[in-house]
Amino acid sequence: MKVYFFATCLGSIAYSSACVNAIKLLQYAGFEVVFKKDQTCCGQPSYNSGYFEETRKVALYNMDLFNEDYPIVLPSGSCAGMMKHDYCELFEGHPEYQRAKEFSQRVFEVSEFLDLHSDIKLQDKGEPTRITWHSNCHALRVAKCIPSAKKLLRQLKNVTLVELEKEEECCGFGGTFSVKEPEISNAMVMEKVKDIQSRKVDYLVAGDGGCLLNISGKMQKMGLDIKSMHLYDFLAQRIGIN
Amino acid sequence: MKTFYHSTQEYQEIIQEKLTNKQLRENLKTAMDTLKNNRKNLINARYTKWSDLREEGRRVKLKALTHLDALLRRFEENATKNGIKVHWASDAKEANEIIYNLMQEKKVTSILKGKSMASEEIHLNAFLKQKGLDAIETDLGELIIQLIDETPVHIVVPAVHKNRYEIGEIFQEKLGASLESQPEKLNEIARKHLRKEFKTFKMGLTGANFAIADEGAIWLVENEGNGRMTSTACDIHVAICGIEKVVESFEDASILGTLLVPSATGAPITCYNNIITSPRKEGEKDGPREVHVILLDNNRSNMLNDRNFFKSLSCIRCGTCLNHCPVYDKIGGHAYLSTYPGPIGEVISPQLFGLNNCAPMLDLCSLCGRCSEVCPVKIPLAELIRDLRSEKVGQGYGKVLGYKKEVKNSIEQFLMSGFAKNATCGKKWRSVLWLAKNLGGMGKIFHRFIPILNKWTKYRNYPKIDANLHSEIKKLQGVIYE
Repeated sequence: MKVYFFATCLGSIAYSSACVNAIKLLQYAGFEVVFKKDQTCCGQPSYNSGYFEETRKVALYNMDLFNEDYPIVLPSGSCAGMMKHDYCELFEGHPEYQRAKEFSQRVFEVSEFLDLHSDIKLQDKGEPTRITWHSNCHALRVAKCIPSAKKLLRQLKNVTLVELEKEEECCGFGGTFSVKEPEISNAMVMEKVKDIQSRKVDYLVAGDGGCLLNISGKMQKMGLDIKSMHLYDFLAQRIGIN
Repeated sequence: MKTFYHSTQEYQEIIQEKLTNKQLRENLKTAMDTLKNNRKNLINARYTKWSDLREEGRRVKLKALTHLDALLRRFEENATKNGIKVHWASDAKEANEIIYNLMQEKKVTSILKGKSMASEEIHLNAFLKQKGLDAIETDLGELIIQLIDETPVHIVVPAVHKNRYEIGEIFQEKLGASLESQPEKLNEIARKHLRKEFKTFKMGLTGANFAIADEGAIWLVENEGNGRMTSTACDIHVAICGIEKVVESFEDASILGTLLVPSATGAPITCYNNIITSPRKEGEKDGPREVHVILLDNNRSNMLNDRNFFKSLSCIRCGTCLNHCPVYDKIGGHAYLSTYPGPIGEVISPQLFGLNNCAPMLDLCSLCGRCSEVCPVKIPLAELIRDLRSEKVGQGYGKVLGYKKEVKNSIEQFLMSGFAKNATCGKKWRSVLWLAKNLGGMGKIFHRFIPILNKWTKYRNYPKIDANLHSEIKKLQGVIYE
């Protein structure tokens, strides 16, 4: 079965290894991956700032680009939420609404797709380790794909997943929010880091580039030795396909 | 009443001030954590069908809002039959004048107040002060902030930013009480101070949680008993009620009441439910001899006319969106520079007071969506905040108050239009990636001088920019690169 892989803007710029590993996982699960070289961004930066007209152009571009009837799979719950849910909202009352609705039904976050459409078995080859997990807000509340990500992590027999006390609290990234309100954003990520520190773990794992960039950037600035890793880098490493 | 314009600069200054106030941060965090946990534990333990109840609540409010005209007329008719005097106020000025004229007519120079956000919205206390008249707050939280000349920091818990030690000091300084910090002792001080007021006052003013059209009655929910004192011990009771508070029946109001209390404080019920159906009747021993209800519009009709934003009139003022907001608990309500703070404040304040007066508050949200998730009547708050941002940049429907006066940010407009141009052309986008790859190293050296980037690196390390995905993909076996 063929699937489109949409790397997203952050995936292309800062998380290429996570994208490559996500593709390897999809191949490992038996899918044939199609990568459109003209792919760009889901349109969230303009959407969340209220520039709906610009965002509609980007959304229509994506609908034209991923035109075959393949599932569109992407390594980010946030962008998945945008394309699954927000595209429909964006075109409400517009002639393209039906098209957006049909398109959105083909969109899946990688872990969600693997969980729902494959019988992937992850054989953990790594040493015992303790990790904690950060839930991206948009993945949690819009794409609703967090249970799938956790299900995959729980397949790893040597990995102990210690949940955060405030897992459902925003890390303060919020796309442009982090640079529009840097002081508040910093106060938010500080609290997230404090929670992570309290878990006494080796790794922080998250399924979203934005949050990871934010939290790991903060932990590095603070000089902490907790490593952070994208979900797909982590999974690929554990099963030895990276 | 004059509305004040607040600039981005003003917002940034107050945010900075609040963020660096350690005591405030600590107080807010403790209080919000307690409220959130109480709510969560209660819902888990007692409400097996909470989500169904929320759906019912949403339905009740939307039903009322779609027939608001008729419901208001029915309320007026039935309340009048019951002997309640109904007044209509189209704006803050009219509402204040109605209260002022009543005070003049009854020869009253001071009134006792129960908790009412509507009275805050019209700046009643300041208005009366200008006229040389007094309004005395009787809600414990409101009393505390009135003593230090502050406004509510929260919709439900107005003095939540002060801890009990600070309150003890306020009572010592302002009321001459002995220094205490035990909640019971603090309550006692407030009670003693207020009892003498209750004995002598002629006019009491409260808000209204629900107005019931079928019965012509109003329903007040409160925890301290002061609302009951204010509405019964005085000869004249005046209730100020936003027009959106009207529902059809007691059944509808009870659904909302059942959602309101757990959401607000995490308690299953309140200590006091005051249902006022009429003034004191022949032979009755207590109750006010006159009841007045002021139905306040203040731009709500305009809100009602917008096919999207009208949903925000469903708000039952439980404050749970504030309690769950990761921004509110860092900066507190005063930093929003408006009567209504937090997520619901971001949605209704621009609509009530003008987008041009408080637009920067729309940035105080990371769009995490937790507010929409917890709202008992399912107002899509995060979505509405984003839609208001669209109004702010000039791409909305243009019905929000002050829409035309809002000054557009041309730099942002330029950046967003550039973004759309690049994101709709594969070739251009790959050039952006090429630039990121080749200039990424320079950014690491010069980030302090690059706008936007320096805002990021002030608090975080410079990110690792690889931007080599396309060449990596081409190397991967089995991938169709087309």
